[in-house]
Amino acid sequence: MKKIIDFTLNGREVSAEVESHKMLLQVLRDTFQLTGTKDGCGQGECGACTVLVDGISINSCLYPAFEVDGKSVTTIEGLVGEGNKLHPIQEAFVENGGIQCGFCTPGMIMSAKALLDENPDPTDEELKKGISGNLCRCTGYVQIVDSIRKAAKSLK
Amino acid sequence: MKKFDYFQPETLKDAYSLIEKSNGSYIYIAGGTDLIANIKNRLIQPDALISLRRIKEISGITQNKDLTLGSMTLLRDIEKDSHIGQNYPALAQAVKILATPQIRNVATIGGNLCNSAPSADCAPPLLVLEASVTLEGPGGQRSIAIEDFFMGPGQTCMNMSEILTRIRITPPGENTGMAFLKVGRVSTDIAIVNAAACLTMEKNVCRKCRLSVGAVAPVPLRLRSVEKMIEGQEISPELLNRAGKMVEEEVKPITDVRSTSGYRRIMSGVLIKRAIEEAIRRMEQNK
Repeated sequence: MKKIIDFTLNGREVSAEVESHKMLLQVLRDTFQLTGTKDGCGQGECGACTVLVDGISINSCLYPAFEVDGKSVTTIEGLVGEGNKLHPIQEAFVENGGIQCGFCTPGMIMSAKALLDENPDPTDEELKKGISGNLCRCTGYVQIVDSIRKAAKSLK
Repeated sequence: MKKFDYFQPETLKDAYSLIEKSNGSYIYIAGGTDLIANIKNRLIQPDALISLRRIKEISGITQNKDLTLGSMTLLRDIEKDSHIGQNYPALAQAVKILATPQIRNVATIGGNLCNSAPSADCAPPLLVLEASVTLEGPGGQRSIAIEDFFMGPGQTCMNMSEILTRIRITPPGENTGMAFLKVGRVSTDIAIVNAAACLTMEKNVCRKCRLSVGAVAPVPLRLRSVEKMIEGQEISPELLNRAGKMVEEEVKPITDVRSTSGYRRIMSGVLIKRAIEEAIRRMEQNK
């Protein structure tokens, strides 16, 4: 079964013909070649595939593509500003060593974005809970938390 | 992964007509955070999924005389509802520590119940609140106590074409406190044991006691014999110890990747004791 779905992708109106058994993750990576969003566990455990749907963080590996019809999707590629300027959260990750191998980073940053959009001034506890759905296999959590804390400051 | 069709009806009637055509090879999908993983792991292989997300009438939170939760209400929305946080803290706490933010943003309370996992975090709070669930199908609707809903791991009392539409909770009376507790390997993991308590007190004497534990039997358990032992008694450390021992005898835990049956048995007694204490503490705070 196929269907044409229309949605907003990183601020642009797009449409694509997708198969009914595809998840949003495959559509982003295969149809739109937005490979910033990573395919990790495929089970909603690791958070590498995190994107925002209508501003809310979700695991795109478990999100049926048909469900984004009419919605707005933001991926890591959508955070970059004019002239390829990094988003303040991205900049904070670069500057504070929040990246090691980098595989978890796009998902981690999307979770951080969802958290800071909703709660611009999180406590350390809230911040850690905000990224509890994202695993870093390099275990560099201290720098990641530090990066998000500093991003929160620079976004104020 | 097996290919499947995906339907998005906007009314219950359209959902029923799709499932009735299917000869048992279609299933309903709510948030899908467990179901899609199960399909990927080839535990189930449906020909089509019937999404309930567009059926507006079975989503949302309303408080009239009773609290009514549409089955498609997101865990996220329950977590953020201040009325539920204030008046049904056991449910609020269960939802708050269930899985990860990304899962709670998609998963629904109805889906958590319909999976019928023995460890379902929403089950113990609803059991101690004596919630009822409305099941609707092409043949009409029925309302049953949540206690009669779970039949075994992954099995409920619903037939293939029925949909859990609403969960109804009558507000507990005055002088009532409640709590939900959970132990897991890490905070985001499925419970090793979870427990809830809801107590109505008259000074130090317990007038009404409702207790539940999960992940320690084929279904989430109501602990009726322990409740009966506590009602009419003054809550004392001795009484709590007796209750804990009774819980240990009543549960039938298994050993799996998360824990051993022995640890689960002991922790179910410990969690019930702590949940009772926490419920009483909350009640006193609210006075």
